[in-house]
Amino acid sequence: MVTFITRRLIVSILLLLGAAFIMYQLTALAGDPLEEFYQSRLPNKAQLIAARTEALQLNVPAPLRFFLWLGGAAKCLIPFANSCDLGLTAQGQKVTDLLPMAMGSTLQLVTAATVLAIAIGITFGIVSALRQYTTFDFVMTFVSFLLYSLPSFWVGILLKEFIAIKFNDFLGDPQLGPIWIAVIAIVIGLLWVGLIGGEWRRRVSVFIVSALATAAVLVYFSITDWFLHPNIGPVFMLIMSAGIGLVLTAMLAGIRNRRVMLVAAIQVVITMICYFALQSLLDISSIYTLLILGLVTLVVGLVSGYLVGGQDRGLNMRVGALTALLSAALILVDRLMQSWPQFLGQSSINGRPIATVGSQTPGLTGDIWMHGLDSFTHLLLPTLTLMLIGFAGYTRFSRAGMLDVLNQDYIRTARAKGMPERVVIVRHAFRNSLIPIATIVASDFGALLGGAIITEQVFAFSGMGNLFQVGLRLPDPNPVMGYFVVVAVMVVVFNFIADMTYSALDPRVRTRG
Amino acid sequence: MKFSRIGVPIAIAAVAAMAVTGCTTTGETPTQATGGTVTVAEVNELTSFNPNTPQGNLDMNAKLTGYTRSGFFYIDNKLNLVPDKSFGTIEKISDDPLTVKYTLAKTATWSDGTPVTADDMMLAWAVQSGYYNDSKTDADGNVTSGTTYFDYAGDTTGLGLTSLPVIGDNNMSMTLTYSEPYADWTLINPIDAPAHVVADKAGVALKDVLAAMTSMPRGDASKPAAPNKDLKAFADFWNTGFDATSLPTDKSLYLSSAGMVLDSWTPKQSITLVRNPDYKGDLKPKVDKIVIRFIGDAQAQVTALQNGEVDLINPQSSADTIKSLEALKNVTTLTGNQFSYDHLDISFNTKVFKDPNVRKAFLMTVPRQQILDAIVTPQNPDATLDDSQLFFPGTDAYDASVKVNGASVYDKVDIDGAKALLNGAKPEVRVLYNTKNPNRVASFQALQASAEKAGFKVVDGGAENWGSLLGSGTYDASIFGWISSGVGVAGVPQIFSTTGGGNYSGYSNPQVDQLAQKLQVTLDKKAQDDIQIQIDTMLFADGYGVPLFVAPGVMAHSNNVTGVVYYPGQAGIGWNYWEWAKK
Repeated sequence: MVTFITRRLIVSILLLLGAAFIMYQLTALAGDPLEEFYQSRLPNKAQLIAARTEALQLNVPAPLRFFLWLGGAAKCLIPFANSCDLGLTAQGQKVTDLLPMAMGSTLQLVTAATVLAIAIGITFGIVSALRQYTTFDFVMTFVSFLLYSLPSFWVGILLKEFIAIKFNDFLGDPQLGPIWIAVIAIVIGLLWVGLIGGEWRRRVSVFIVSALATAAVLVYFSITDWFLHPNIGPVFMLIMSAGIGLVLTAMLAGIRNRRVMLVAAIQVVITMICYFALQSLLDISSIYTLLILGLVTLVVGLVSGYLVGGQDRGLNMRVGALTALLSAALILVDRLMQSWPQFLGQSSINGRPIATVGSQTPGLTGDIWMHGLDSFTHLLLPTLTLMLIGFAGYTRFSRAGMLDVLNQDYIRTARAKGMPERVVIVRHAFRNSLIPIATIVASDFGALLGGAIITEQVFAFSGMGNLFQVGLRLPDPNPVMGYFVVVAVMVVVFNFIADMTYSALDPRVRTRG
Repeated sequence: MKFSRIGVPIAIAAVAAMAVTGCTTTGETPTQATGGTVTVAEVNELTSFNPNTPQGNLDMNAKLTGYTRSGFFYIDNKLNLVPDKSFGTIEKISDDPLTVKYTLAKTATWSDGTPVTADDMMLAWAVQSGYYNDSKTDADGNVTSGTTYFDYAGDTTGLGLTSLPVIGDNNMSMTLTYSEPYADWTLINPIDAPAHVVADKAGVALKDVLAAMTSMPRGDASKPAAPNKDLKAFADFWNTGFDATSLPTDKSLYLSSAGMVLDSWTPKQSITLVRNPDYKGDLKPKVDKIVIRFIGDAQAQVTALQNGEVDLINPQSSADTIKSLEALKNVTTLTGNQFSYDHLDISFNTKVFKDPNVRKAFLMTVPRQQILDAIVTPQNPDATLDDSQLFFPGTDAYDASVKVNGASVYDKVDIDGAKALLNGAKPEVRVLYNTKNPNRVASFQALQASAEKAGFKVVDGGAENWGSLLGSGTYDASIFGWISSGVGVAGVPQIFSTTGGGNYSGYSNPQVDQLAQKLQVTLDKKAQDDIQIQIDTMLFADGYGVPLFVAPGVMAHSNNVTGVVYYPGQAGIGWNYWEWAKK
């Protein structure tokens, strides 16, 4: 094992060096950094050319300039010396100063999108595999290929038009017409039919119930101006947290497991008590308050699971913690919604909350709920864009992985010995189908910081992609190389982790050493 | 056991409640603005509070100083110099030798309360004159001997002619005497960074620096002297000390002497300017706050305007951008010219174009109207043919020049006329252009199709590295663009005189040389225009080339904001920010 790791490390370093050299040369050859001066009518043109020549060391041939850069970059390897020197940009800014800022905005942009894409993608992939060759499966296959093939700038612009501008216009007079209500109700009804499946009669009843429920909710929203004064309210809070408890119990433990059901019920009761008791605390909360509350929620879920006892305390605790956290999240969502009218009324928002550019409204003042809403309205569109595109891939991978596992002999054995279908799927099939996905997820996280060059551009996020793009345009190799170093190291490290994970998850590929 | 089941969670909850209440916050109370906030979209982010160094010489840095630094004058949208008497006055004392006196007004103050004084003018003069520099540099810009104090990105020719300024009026005035007349003297604006801040941050006493400035002789590159320590430290801070990637903790780095002062900077996102409470001048802004958001993509700027996130945009012009802007309700789109133009130049040092008739024949085939219609008209419906090599359309001097300069000969394609001049010859012409610029490619293709009708064989000499090929003699004609400041005459000898640094065409006309020389020492605007009209006429008579089109520009604003006026120059949309008002 040690030799394997060492060999991998040495190969990775050589690979990085070679790639860095090629990257530097390609960037340096990408254009002429003096081009803007050729068109200048300034009398001191020669002096400006000389200044830039000196700043970018253009008199040194690019292959040699690479080693000058490498000399500075090598200092980054000295631990704690803080002597990292990735050079200056053409504007005289230190690349090492720009990188953390760029990484910050890229992470802000892509983290939620990646996590959501993974969660939703895997869910839909699994369901689609379980319902192989049903209408739902075909629709999912169609949708995922459609999304997979969409260019991000186009999706971005469409979302801006329909979710930002049209929705903001809609908020001016938030009344849904009967046609819209009908369309949305039918779509949601069909979605539920697809997800739940079953015989004809069940399908029809699922469709009617869910479509009517959706329509009723939408009518209620329209009548009460819900979009201007949204809230979950105690009744829905109870229904939703009870629903969460029920679904988690059914999935993880089976509906007959009374103890687990009791644990979930305890969480629902605590949630409802907190919903009423904590409002005034939430009003004055800071982000740390929320962190502590989150931690407390987790502990309460685990402890109550443990105390209820029974044969499988671990299972109790898992269900308890998950139910508690998800229900607590509902309370936060409700609290955010309570701030919505105040948010809409801000002069800098001016009743048009969904933003199309940037990550925050300049000059917005208010508590964490206001800033929370502001981040949400800014990140909504770029996150959706990236998520829609990323989600497609995960759906395909997890569907394929799940089908692969479902056709294995041991699944048949499990079924043959009379194991409940829930256990077969959740415990035997699902877990194993995650093994190949784990490696994809690991390498995707490695590529996270590479950013989404086009999405960044469309939504005016200047993160890593922007650093790369602006550097390449001049061309100014130093920021491009700064980008490269971070991205390449991340990719190499995460690929390494992916390999390690694989051998940890799947005993069959473990190497001897 | 009953107790622990209920008791433990309660105990935990009690402890947690104590911990939680310990870190709450009351939250900021939202404040409502009264005079309104105007939000502007800009393409580039700020990188420095000093736009006059080579690395800080970026449009956004210069635009910020437009909001935060007063000057003796500003340039309006018609290219007139408008004096700002509340900052100071310029007075020409004598013509020979040219002597100009700059007197600061009492109202001129930095936002830390320090009055603007002649100390600040001395700093600006030291920077813009390069008086103390005694360095020699090689072609790569490396200093080989002596010292360069201020790394100034501008041109030192003008103030380089002045001798040490005379300070007077209680340290409120500066008088400059030029050794020879300098045509662009009116464009000298001797004000830069606050000198007291530069000295303070450089760790030197301002009076020591000023003493050094007054005692040091003019730098002589042939006899480099040991660098003056105080002045060097002072200059070094000016060179790099104002560069920033986020808001500095030290407010003195971004002092304001104008109506707005920088208040906050969210890196990569936006900067916020607020009304400068200490500003006593005339150009008082009407709005309370100006927010500048950095949005690189033109389409993203348009959508942000449509969605009300920004009020004013200033994107790169393109037909698509104009089209999507014009579809918007409640938005006013302003189109116009920019101070840059594409042109076709003839190379005089090649064999093909030795014969003036061939030059003329070639120029007659240039489909200028067609190129204009294809590239510019969709973006600026009022665009007309650019018929002058020296003036920009829309100015009085342009109208005067067009009447006499003879450019109209080339307004329409004249294939028959060209054929007659060629007299059966089939010359081969190699045209250089930038293959990465779609407009240049389109211009070349239109030109090629048209010139071949007259018998020319047009060879595609397009290259990506066209810039470094300029002046190499490897082509017979070239299509590229000139970017100019729109004011001043310093660019004229630069391009059209035999030895000019921007004369890539090998053009040489002794009369033009003489006139260009005379232009540089002519002080009167009217006389300058007359000389330029003469040069313009000679250029067309010699078949120097033809201007193709002036680059179009676009600005747009939400109808909630009034007072926005199109501006063709580098100062951009914020040139008259004090007139903006929010409805």
